[in-house]
Amino acid sequence: MTSMHGSVPSVDSLSGQSVLGGGASRLRRAGPSVSFGDERHQTAHRWLVDEAWLLDLQSYDEWLALLTDDIHYLMPVRVTTALGAGYDTSPGMAHFDEDKYSLSRRVARFQTEHAWTEDPPSRLRHHLSNVRTFATEDADHLVVESATLLFRSRGDVREGSLVSAGREDLLRRTPEGWKLARRTILVDDSVIRMQNLAIFL
Amino acid sequence: MADTDAGQAAVLDAVRRGMIPAHIYNDREVFELEKKRLFSRAWLFVGHESEIPQAGDYVVRRVLEDSFIIARDEAGEVRAHFNMCLHRGMQVCRAEMGNASHFRCPYHGWSYRNDGRLVGLPFHRDAYGGEAGFPRQGQRLLPAPSLASYNGLIFVSLDPAAPPLEEFLGDFRFYLDFYTQQSSGGIELRGPQRWRVKANWKIGAENFAGDMYHTPQTHTSVVEIGLFREPKAEKRKDGCTYWAGAGGGTTYKLPAGDFDERMRYVGYPQEMIDRIKAQWTPEQQRVVGEDGFMISAASIYPNLSFVHNWPRVGESDDVLPFISIRQWQPISEDETEVLSWFAVDAQAPEEFKALSYKAYLMCFGSTGMFEQDDVENWVSLTNTAAGSMARRLLLNSRMGMLPDGSGVVPALTPDQFSGPGTAYVGYGEYNQRELLNRWADDMERPVPATGPATGAGDAPSAVAAAPDPAAPVAEAVGQA
Repeated sequence: MTSMHGSVPSVDSLSGQSVLGGGASRLRRAGPSVSFGDERHQTAHRWLVDEAWLLDLQSYDEWLALLTDDIHYLMPVRVTTALGAGYDTSPGMAHFDEDKYSLSRRVARFQTEHAWTEDPPSRLRHHLSNVRTFATEDADHLVVESATLLFRSRGDVREGSLVSAGREDLLRRTPEGWKLARRTILVDDSVIRMQNLAIFL
Repeated sequence: MADTDAGQAAVLDAVRRGMIPAHIYNDREVFELEKKRLFSRAWLFVGHESEIPQAGDYVVRRVLEDSFIIARDEAGEVRAHFNMCLHRGMQVCRAEMGNASHFRCPYHGWSYRNDGRLVGLPFHRDAYGGEAGFPRQGQRLLPAPSLASYNGLIFVSLDPAAPPLEEFLGDFRFYLDFYTQQSSGGIELRGPQRWRVKANWKIGAENFAGDMYHTPQTHTSVVEIGLFREPKAEKRKDGCTYWAGAGGGTTYKLPAGDFDERMRYVGYPQEMIDRIKAQWTPEQQRVVGEDGFMISAASIYPNLSFVHNWPRVGESDDVLPFISIRQWQPISEDETEVLSWFAVDAQAPEEFKALSYKAYLMCFGSTGMFEQDDVENWVSLTNTAAGSMARRLLLNSRMGMLPDGSGVVPALTPDQFSGPGTAYVGYGEYNQRELLNRWADDMERPVPATGPATGAGDAPSAVAAAPDPAAPVAEAVGQA
């Protein structure tokens, strides 16, 4: 991908740069996005829509079952740098830099009776758009890009808060269906305007 | 902060009795006075030297509303300059980090070297009459009034007459080494993660300074999921809190063992333990090896905190320690920007650094499983503190203190605790009271007015400046 930020590493290289991303698949997109009528796109788009509803409902056990055992789930910290600096993520620092184990601990915590930050639970809406799908050199893997806007409302005093992000996902076909094998979340804020990230994107 | 001086005195008096007027956690007038009397003179953390290792590296950090460029100049010296062009006041650097030899103002093109010196004015001769009309030499971005570092931690004070940093930190330096000097290489910082919470800045500082009492309740969930085995109520109260100099913190009591065994218990590999032993004084080692206490959270007045915990980061029962440094940057009376860094010994093995980073992310920071529940409480507290009923309520912050002011338990003796300052085993709000007593002392002490400054080097400075006595102040004001 080329852009105004031409010298910034492309999103599909960020997972490989993380010290915790070593176990994840390094497959990258091949060629332009596939047609919206393409069955592969429809499969990927439906997967993302179904996932968004699971996340809204905080159905985290079902969500966890959609992740491969070698998943790398990465949300780098974004930084404001001069044009041409060559990077716009904080070197070596992320909000999420997760494997299946750490994600499973996060889910397990929400299921205790003592995760106060989500008791009472937030009202969540993951809006999903700008979905496009790319083939990879392996027919059992697809790269899917999407935009997400999470609205989170808690209690009755504070205004709701928003997180806007782009995502690049690697989906893998498995005997149990398509699963998420890698996700890189490019959040659009350098300073998160949400009290915590006790959510998933 | 109150309608009358008497009202203000009553607030400070109540604070000193350990009864905290609830509204100080969400009160515009209190915050205005904090800006005037506290943040205008305190030593405030702005970054670590490891964030700007190379000549030209810089980060931009704020002290309240004031933006400073923290840069390593071409000679390798750390500088801190007010990020405002001397001409029309534009920010000369609008990135938050990077590497630059010069900063050029985007408005009219005045440019400055990374040591702050003005080196370029477009049309200098035509517009200003050249060097004779307006001498460029000696003009520089306003330096931070005071700048100093300790163990690589860079602090700024807006008070040109601030006491020396080491004097301010005092005996807390003994404990600072536990977090920031585990080898001769010091620490490396990554981050910060930054996010805003609708909570008053004092709450986090108090919590990290001494609140062992919240751990078993607030953080029940992290014990239940096997992330951290220590906070169970009956175990947490065996730890001690200590206060020394400008800060204080909490500890956990470790199982029996010598220094090496106890460091291994919290997950340090032997090669790091060997370097730590070469680095820490015998007294520092005795706190762990003989007294059996391991540092956990801590705060330096007013708004810098530390944490050191040792969670499980994988399926095995092994634990791994991490260190975080964080600043509670006030935005307003009811909003704080949290800047949370991961810190690790620069000489640690790469595998340790990676897993320690993982431990940090699981526990603290914007996604941390400890942090998530803390913030929920602090936001709620701040919100509730805004109303009229909160103005009637004195919060009880007297834990550990009997009605006559004496302690529920005696302070630890030097035989029981080898560190400086005062330490107590068990639950108490000694440190929260220490922090707020300092707050009260600052709040009642007026700050002398500061005169105007220009770029001609007449501003007091801790950095090596070369003020040009030939540059008349009035002229610089008139033309710059």
